[in-house]
Amino acid sequence: MSEPLVVMRGVSKCYDTPAGPFSALTDVSLTVARGELLVVVGQSGSGKSTLLGLLAGIDRPTRGEVIVGGTPVHALPERAISAWRGRAVGIIFQFFQLLPTLTAVENVMLPMDFCDTWPARERRQRALALLARLGVADQAEKLPLTLSGGQQQRVAVARSLANEPALLLADEPTGNLDSRTAAAVLELLAGLTGDGQTVVMVTHERAALGIATRAITLVDGWVAGAEALAHG
Amino acid sequence: MASPRWRKVRRDLGLHKARTLLVVLAIAIGILGAASVLDTWTLVRQATRDQFRASNPPSATLRTEAVDRQLLARVRTLPAVRYARGRRMVIASAQVAGGWRTAELFVVDDYRSPIGHVEPQAGGWPPGGLGIVVERSSVDYVRTAVGEELTLQFGGAEPVVLPVTGIARDVGLAPGWMDHVVYGFVTPATLARLGAPTSLDDLQIVVARDGQDREAIRRVAAQVKALVESTGRRVGSVDVPIPGRHIHAAQIDSLLFTQEAFGLLALLLSGFLVVNLISAMLAGQVREIGIMKAIGGRSGQIGLLYLGMSLALGVVASAVALPAAAVLGRAYARFTGDMLNFDVAAARIPASMILLQFAVGLLLPVVAAALPVLHGCRIPVSAALRDLGIDARAAARRPHPILARAGGLTRPLLLSLRNAFRRRQRMALTLATLAVGGAVYLGAVNLRAAIVGAVDLLFSSLRFDVMLRFDRPYPPAALEEAAAAVEGVARAEAWSGARATAVHDGGVLGNPFPIIAPPLPSRMLALAAQQGRWLRPGDGRALVVNRRLVEDEPGLRPGAEATLMVAGRPTRWRVVGVVESGLSPSAYARRETITEIVGGGATAIVVAAAPGGLGARLTLLQRLRSQLAAGGFEVQSGTLQAQQRKVVEDHLLMVAGFLGVMGQLMIVVGGLGLASTMSLAVLERTREIGVLRALGASHRSIVILVQVEGLVIALLSWAIALPLSVPMSVVLGKVFGRIMIQVPAALAPDASGVVRWLLVVVAVSLVACALPAWSATRISTAAALSYE
Repeated sequence: MSEPLVVMRGVSKCYDTPAGPFSALTDVSLTVARGELLVVVGQSGSGKSTLLGLLAGIDRPTRGEVIVGGTPVHALPERAISAWRGRAVGIIFQFFQLLPTLTAVENVMLPMDFCDTWPARERRQRALALLARLGVADQAEKLPLTLSGGQQQRVAVARSLANEPALLLADEPTGNLDSRTAAAVLELLAGLTGDGQTVVMVTHERAALGIATRAITLVDGWVAGAEALAHG
Repeated sequence: MASPRWRKVRRDLGLHKARTLLVVLAIAIGILGAASVLDTWTLVRQATRDQFRASNPPSATLRTEAVDRQLLARVRTLPAVRYARGRRMVIASAQVAGGWRTAELFVVDDYRSPIGHVEPQAGGWPPGGLGIVVERSSVDYVRTAVGEELTLQFGGAEPVVLPVTGIARDVGLAPGWMDHVVYGFVTPATLARLGAPTSLDDLQIVVARDGQDREAIRRVAAQVKALVESTGRRVGSVDVPIPGRHIHAAQIDSLLFTQEAFGLLALLLSGFLVVNLISAMLAGQVREIGIMKAIGGRSGQIGLLYLGMSLALGVVASAVALPAAAVLGRAYARFTGDMLNFDVAAARIPASMILLQFAVGLLLPVVAAALPVLHGCRIPVSAALRDLGIDARAAARRPHPILARAGGLTRPLLLSLRNAFRRRQRMALTLATLAVGGAVYLGAVNLRAAIVGAVDLLFSSLRFDVMLRFDRPYPPAALEEAAAAVEGVARAEAWSGARATAVHDGGVLGNPFPIIAPPLPSRMLALAAQQGRWLRPGDGRALVVNRRLVEDEPGLRPGAEATLMVAGRPTRWRVVGVVESGLSPSAYARRETITEIVGGGATAIVVAAAPGGLGARLTLLQRLRSQLAAGGFEVQSGTLQAQQRKVVEDHLLMVAGFLGVMGQLMIVVGGLGLASTMSLAVLERTREIGVLRALGASHRSIVILVQVEGLVIALLSWAIALPLSVPMSVVLGKVFGRIMIQVPAALAPDASGVVRWLLVVVAVSLVACALPAWSATRISTAAALSYE
């Protein structure tokens, strides 16, 4: 069996809040194999987004280790973490988070621009190809605010794939979409897994379980259960 | 093609046009203020230095007798002398608007002489026949023009009407309007027509070498003096001015100093403004910074984007401000040059200065943005992605206990007060900008009051209203008796006087200065000694000197024994005290001591008038002139103390006036800072304003909310400016005292200035907040609640 892409060992995250220390995650250990689509479910405040933030290097664990693709993310210095994230991880947000003054294609080109991953003259072609793969090539020159929610999320997925990251993190990717569009986005993510992409998705959407290889449930920061699913 | 991130910068600037314009405007105004002042400084410095040098000012002037062609030819043969000319200066009176004013008439042996070059401005040059060419700095003062006539009178002779044949500029003279003197260039024939002596009595030279070495010039002057004396002529005095130093160098230096200092201060304040605006811009970009970091943007890359944005703003602001500054600077330089009697038209702003200004204009926003950018780019991604457009820390911060406990205030008023303290760093910078402007304003007001106080002090020691000078000495008792008999005279005192020159080592003479000699004790003169003591009735050859004279002749310090040439004879004196008595060097001695040395009587009479206004004193002056002339006393000139005071004040207040203008400029910058702060506050609180509207807040309530918040900041700046003005006033007073005249240090702000500053700051706040308040009322509830 090949080495897992993601390894979390004994990870805890505690926040200092005005009301006192708040434990968002407690002693979480898990692994994610390459090509897997892991769904993380749980109620609001259960620690799902914290888990994703730790995997993306956006947050740092209070205790424990987070290793992604062999890189100890918890130990990366701050100055190196953005560059690592840009190349190793793609993030899809609930509210799309596209830059409003850049067109769809420019939003997709931006990670390549920051990380200098593709020759400058090839970036536009690659971005257009990604948009075409996600079915929004005809929206390439439009500004995000003129696109529908589903179209914006497709552009956001294209952007997350721009640097061919090993790991795709999706934070409630369907949370801001109607049910038909949500189903289309989930189908899209399932398709990516089929192409060998590793995905960790946080969601409330029960339908997501239908495309996942595995699911874990978080309750008050603890891993309360894990189940292998049909696609696993 | 630009990469996406740089396209983002361009489009962000275009998207927030109002904010971008505000930032560009703030930078542009800062650059405009600083660059126009620097341009003025450059042009005035260049014009004064170059034109004064180009005029070939005399290296030395020897007061002698009968300077003729033969004598000039002999002097010109001396290898150390480059040029020589003969001149006579006659003091007469010119009739202006029914009154008489002092006129100084010049005649030289050859108006084409390269010494003291005079530049024709209008009409004919040089003077010919019985015409007069008026010096341009006197033209407004005497209210004349080419083709008009001017009535002149010499001593007690009949007035003569002369045609004004030309106007010319002599940069070597103190400006006529400032010295209250009418300068004219005439021919010997005109002097003869006026009844004045026509022989030339000043021998002026320009040295061939070491023209900037005062001691070397003094040695050459000593050679010339020896040559003149070898012809049997007497040399009364030898005047060697500081080489290259204009007679009004003190004013020019103070003006240039203040221009330089305030140019830099304006730049600093505009830097504060830019820091504020760029911080606010970044505050609106926090979420986007988070997204860029989340997709791989490094802090350095993102920081570079915003610094690049600042640079672009600097380019646009400089492109707008620098040409405007050149125009404004030249206009102000022309005004300053006119006041100082220099022509700045030929002066050029050097390319290096323009490049420097451009570099500063580009770098100012970059430097100002550096800290906010550093701070903004260091925000953790998680915090940036959670940003809701309001400073959570600022919102969560507990209000100051005073604000928390403030009782009796309505909720909206309390909200305004608390809002003012929400963005503390921004408020601090706005406060600093306004408070520094206020401190400069108050400093200028204080300096003005201190100058008036110093002039009051000076003139309170001169307890007379009118002074008349005579062509030759008269018995003091006879003069006093004749003056006392004139109607309107309360008291009269006859003074003697002489010109003296300090004798330096090796027999080299210093510059001549007047010794004023009242009777002791005097009822008309009571100067307070700053060092040593004032004169006593029993003093023999005791001398009191003024501060200007000690600066010029350090050997004349209190306690020193010195040899002075008085009436051509060496005399020993003991310096007993130092007084502050105006802008030119002078000394004081007993009347009896001077009359004994010069062998004459009194040469001036000072008169205290019976109570009455300026008109009554002018009438008294005319009456004194005519009745004393009728009594056989030849009056040379007469002056009113009120006029003399105006001359001194005009010299001194010019600098305070300039400071006032600078203070106003600073207040404009401060007002702009307040306007931008409030505009940004409104922009950031769009959602809150929407909520208030939804809760029923009227237009009026919203306007009051914004205006009160602005007023809180403005009033705080008023309060901070008060203590800040103390060190500012002390520094200004010290600099002014070193260059011009010692003024009492102002340790408490002038009360009327404090009230005026309060009114100004309230007015500035109301104006500055008007637009933001109006914008706040334009926010629709629905749009505000959907604002992101």
